[in-house]
Amino acid sequence: MSEPHAPGSVSDNRYEIRIQGHLDVHWDDWFEGLTVTNYADGTTTLSGVVIDQAGLHGLLGKIGGLGLTLISVNAMNSDHPM
Amino acid sequence: MSTAVIATKLFLPLTGQNAVSRMRLVKRLQDGVDSGHKLTLVSAPAGFGKTTLLSEWLASAQRSEPGVGVAWLSLDEGDNDPSRFLTYLVAALEGAVSQQRPASLADQGAPPMSVEASVTALLNVIAQAAHRVILVLDDLQLINVAPPALTFLLDHLPSNLHVAIASRSDPSLPLARMRGRGELTELRAVDLRFTSEEAAAFLNQVSGLELAEEDIAALETRTEGWIAGLQLAALSMRDRSDIPGFIKAFTGSHRFVIDYLGEEVLQTQPDDIRTFLSQTAFLNHLSGPLCDAVTGRTDSAQVLETLERENLFVVPLDDQRQWYRYHHLFADVLRARSLKNDPERVPTLHRLASGWHEHNDLPEDAVRHALAAADFERAAGLIERAVPVMRRRRQDTTLLAWLKLLPDEVAAGRPVLSVYYAWSMLVSGELDAAERRLDHAERALGLTDDGGEPAFESEGGEELRTLPVMIPVYRASLAQARGDVAGTAIHARHALEAAQPGDHFAHGAAAGFLGMALWASGELEPAVRTFADARTSLGLAFNTADVLGSTLVLADMLIVQGRRREARRAYVQSLQLATAQGEPVLQSTADLHMGISELDREQNELEAAAEHLQTSKALGEQASLPENRHRWFVAMSRIQEAEGDLDAALDMLDEAERLYLRGLLPETRPIAAMKARIWIKQGKLAEAHAWADGQGLSATDALSYLREFDHITLARLLIAQQRASEHSADQHRAENAHLVVDEALGLLERLLDAAEAGTRTGSANEILALKALAHQAIGQTALALAPLARALAQSEPEGYVRLYSDEGVPMAALLQEAAKQKISPDYVRLLRSTFRPAEATSPVPHADMEALSERELQVLTLLSTELSGPQIARELFVSLNTLRSHTSHIFVKLAVNSRTAAIRRAREQGLL
Repeated sequence: MSEPHAPGSVSDNRYEIRIQGHLDVHWDDWFEGLTVTNYADGTTTLSGVVIDQAGLHGLLGKIGGLGLTLISVNAMNSDHPM
Repeated sequence: MSTAVIATKLFLPLTGQNAVSRMRLVKRLQDGVDSGHKLTLVSAPAGFGKTTLLSEWLASAQRSEPGVGVAWLSLDEGDNDPSRFLTYLVAALEGAVSQQRPASLADQGAPPMSVEASVTALLNVIAQAAHRVILVLDDLQLINVAPPALTFLLDHLPSNLHVAIASRSDPSLPLARMRGRGELTELRAVDLRFTSEEAAAFLNQVSGLELAEEDIAALETRTEGWIAGLQLAALSMRDRSDIPGFIKAFTGSHRFVIDYLGEEVLQTQPDDIRTFLSQTAFLNHLSGPLCDAVTGRTDSAQVLETLERENLFVVPLDDQRQWYRYHHLFADVLRARSLKNDPERVPTLHRLASGWHEHNDLPEDAVRHALAAADFERAAGLIERAVPVMRRRRQDTTLLAWLKLLPDEVAAGRPVLSVYYAWSMLVSGELDAAERRLDHAERALGLTDDGGEPAFESEGGEELRTLPVMIPVYRASLAQARGDVAGTAIHARHALEAAQPGDHFAHGAAAGFLGMALWASGELEPAVRTFADARTSLGLAFNTADVLGSTLVLADMLIVQGRRREARRAYVQSLQLATAQGEPVLQSTADLHMGISELDREQNELEAAAEHLQTSKALGEQASLPENRHRWFVAMSRIQEAEGDLDAALDMLDEAERLYLRGLLPETRPIAAMKARIWIKQGKLAEAHAWADGQGLSATDALSYLREFDHITLARLLIAQQRASEHSADQHRAENAHLVVDEALGLLERLLDAAEAGTRTGSANEILALKALAHQAIGQTALALAPLARALAQSEPEGYVRLYSDEGVPMAALLQEAAKQKISPDYVRLLRSTFRPAEATSPVPHADMEALSERELQVLTLLSTELSGPQIARELFVSLNTLRSHTSHIFVKLAVNSRTAAIRRAREQGLL
């Protein structure tokens, strides 16, 4: 990290989760306001700020609950916004 | 009341009419059980037909093996509360053994006291059953951590009980180990997905079409054999004319299967059904009346039946078609759409659902929906009303989780909730948080509006009425937990003043705390008086449980006063009271036997003492209060000490230490000091010194009653040090040691004054005996006889024996002297007959590192039997860890590294 963060900053908790298939936009509220982006290769990313590790695990649980195929989970450096 | 919903959790799902029979998988499951696997795990994401497969298997097992017991438990998030999980687990298993409808059991309110005890009892029943029992735990992924009851169950499975788990994620169990040992039957997504034949049969049957082979292949590829996808595809095609067109569009799309097909299916539904689905999507369970309340319709029961008939999303939860749930996968889809399309409506729906559950006496769901609606005032009111019932059911984990979801200001505005909150913090040891909640409660109680009327929120009733007493009672308990004796007494007095005349319970609780505070400060006379008064009040309040539970405390106080005969009377009376209650055995009955055992031991009735301990054990853990469980091992330790088995006595004290709970009682006889006393007897003075240093003890300390036992132990250590140096040839050390016994005598003199000032005659007896021994250690026999004579005069009428005979050879010599001088002649004759012949020889145990101790020989003998490690540990009443440390000592001493080698070597050396 190149800059120190203010206390309570959540910018470290930015994630991009990639799954197989295209998701409809109505899922963004279900996935706690993450941005749903569909890609031409037939995958979808859910991206945005997750409150903490417990929140991330909850999110992955929701993905599993829908039977979606998880491809990758990436922590995004806050200095390089997507 | 909530029987219907409870029964749905234990309901074995119906095997659907349309489902494709999956005999290949059923056979694998059955083969697993027949080959003796302990556990079946069906682990795959949602929509792979886990539940359907397991129910088909159970139906098949029941056909091929009539009499097989079947237990089904569908888990939900609420089962993260271990008591709740245990209640349902026990209900499900009992149902499988008795083959009766189990629902009534879970409703009785009082769950079993301890996980191990209640599961053990059940496992014994199952082990004796003539038939096999299969337990299915469905949706285990909803539980975050494998509950203790489940781990315990899997560790102690009888051979005729098989457990099958269905989960969307692998449970936190040692799966790799079980795989390695061939104990696990495992079905995963790759096994569960439909084969081409199954997909064809399923699609044609559900859609009612004869699909072309290449269409089926295309659908199977697109869905990857995922059953939920295929089911939606079949539903989508049901009333469609252009099947090839649909398949082409679907297989050509990247859209998530559920999104694509869910929409297709929803689009074919009439508007009102779509609305119904979106309004009820948030309900975990659906019934006609509940859905009517949420949707405003009057025909929800028919709608649900239609949905079931049409294979649309719902799963029946009973065979009367009263309760349903949405398939988890579709529930998520429907909820997500509802959240997107009409977010403002969602809280209203939750509030309606909360209201319906409230009026139908289902408080848990009422609270859950109120919290989901973020209607915290409503939730707080519901929680407050649920507290008494939930506390009786010991669902404190659930209650606390709810309270933590309430904003602080809402909880703080409700004195009853705040006091409950304080209590939960108190029992979990979070003392500062407890104090803060009590402050909130007091502040809220003091609030008034302009008209002088109370301005706090409360459901009123008994709970509110007792607050002015309960708040100072909890404050007293808080002070007690912090070791603040003076504060305890002050708050207990406030509570006493606040108690209304005739409010026996409040009076009893307050006087009880005051009595205990007086005890902790060493003022035994007023302590006993106040505490006896407390017990009278509890009796008048018909609070038999507390009357019995407090017997031990009263007896302890009486024993400190040297009033052993009265202590025995108290135990016997309580035991009669407990017996008069008949079944079931009341909690603390086992503790009464343990208390009598302690009295018998002092009178040297060692067999009777051991018998009372056995009776206590046989009554089971439930018959003992948690804070007393360590005392069984202390009592056993003292018996073994009397029998001369000091290693075993130390083992028992280790167990006692493990079980010790810092409760509300003052710690007047710390276990660490008891261990030090055994070390002193064993001549392990270095260990005993390390203990004394660790405690920061010295002979010149200021005295307080709570350290009396420690200080008496220190005096014992100093006397032993004196004796050890008398044996030593080193004159210089002997001279120094003269000072050591003077230190002991000075300390004992001060201890005696303090004990007599606090009317602690029991303590004084021991101190006097030690003074005699201290003088005797440096050859001052004449000076020794004066304190001995006083001790004898005081202790004879109360029947003390072991006080003297536990002191071994030096005391035997002193008593011989006393006999010559005709001091208490009858009593002295009796005492002298109790010394073991072994004590005629020197008791100094010189540790030979190669020789096995008596305890180790015992362990070795058991190792040579068929018994398993855990069985041996149980036989010796020690933990597995303690057993392991004995075993490793034995291995070292015999220079072996396995059980068989140890037995062989022991036989060679004639040890066995």
